[in-house]
Amino acid sequence: MSLLEFAKWVQGTDWATYVRMSAYLYPAILSAHLSGIALFAGAILVTDLRLLGVMLRNQTISDVVGQLRWPKRIGLLFVATCGLLLASSKAEEYYYNTFFRAKLALLALVLVHALIFRGGVYNNTAALDQAGKIPGKAKLAAALSLVLWISIACVGRGIGYIEPPLDKLHAFVTGATAGSLR
Amino acid sequence: MLIAFENPLNESPLAFPILECMHIVGFAIAVGTIALVDFRLLGFGMLRQSAGDLAKAFAPWTLFGLVLVLLSGPMLFSSDPDMYYLNLSFQIKMVLLAIALIFHFTLRRKLLRGEMSASLGKPFACISLALWVGMIFGGIFIAFIVTPDH
Repeated sequence: MSLLEFAKWVQGTDWATYVRMSAYLYPAILSAHLSGIALFAGAILVTDLRLLGVMLRNQTISDVVGQLRWPKRIGLLFVATCGLLLASSKAEEYYYNTFFRAKLALLALVLVHALIFRGGVYNNTAALDQAGKIPGKAKLAAALSLVLWISIACVGRGIGYIEPPLDKLHAFVTGATAGSLR
Repeated sequence: MLIAFENPLNESPLAFPILECMHIVGFAIAVGTIALVDFRLLGFGMLRQSAGDLAKAFAPWTLFGLVLVLLSGPMLFSSDPDMYYLNLSFQIKMVLLAIALIFHFTLRRKLLRGEMSASLGKPFACISLALWVGMIFGGIFIAFIVTPDH
């Protein structure tokens, strides 16, 4: 099964079709996606600003990073769930969307970032606290994390700016017909 | 009197999306830091610090986020004022914004400074979260509802 076939299959499932056809479900999930981003962003921002030594300097890194681990996980799970619903509902259209592809690539970079910095920084906070100065690798990890997430937010907005390639889509046309019958 | 001039923002196709990105990053910073304090009031998240201490540490960042949002927002509005003005979702959003800002800088601030009964912590956190999430819904729905002819 090619990626395009997979996209068409996901989009054809009952729930994805339901999200696409409903007038208000798509924007409601999009709003939930963005509300989740707000909480998730706060936890990431505070984690990274602490690692950069800009915020909460009177608290240990272990304390701040440790306490925000679960909020970050819950936030990411919520945002990703909403995101998957949104992406599935228009999977075929997004398959052609350059910003959508860029967003997936950036999300893959988040994974790479985690693989590189997890052991040395995020799971190594006790050692960071013992070092007199915050080590460069911790600051680099934090700065890259901020740049990555801000880019993901901006690229995500870009998805909505690309017109669907109507000549290539079949499901979208079905959706438009259903909409005009209402 | 008719004022006829072109908004310079509408001359570049990139102006609007760039302002939107500023708007999104701004609200993520503002609402993100506000929500962490609200969740602390509700008993979740950073429990080893007091809500008041967190609010104090986050305050400059919350303000920075609000400045980004309140700078980019009016510029986005200026790209098509009639449409926004007549859009029900935008109208609701502006009412929520006014209530949210007043609530944030008066009652909620007093509570976080310990000048009000701590028993108000949970209700205040719920009000704050509801107002900001409502604003996000209001913002998104601007583009998804039909604006009356203008």
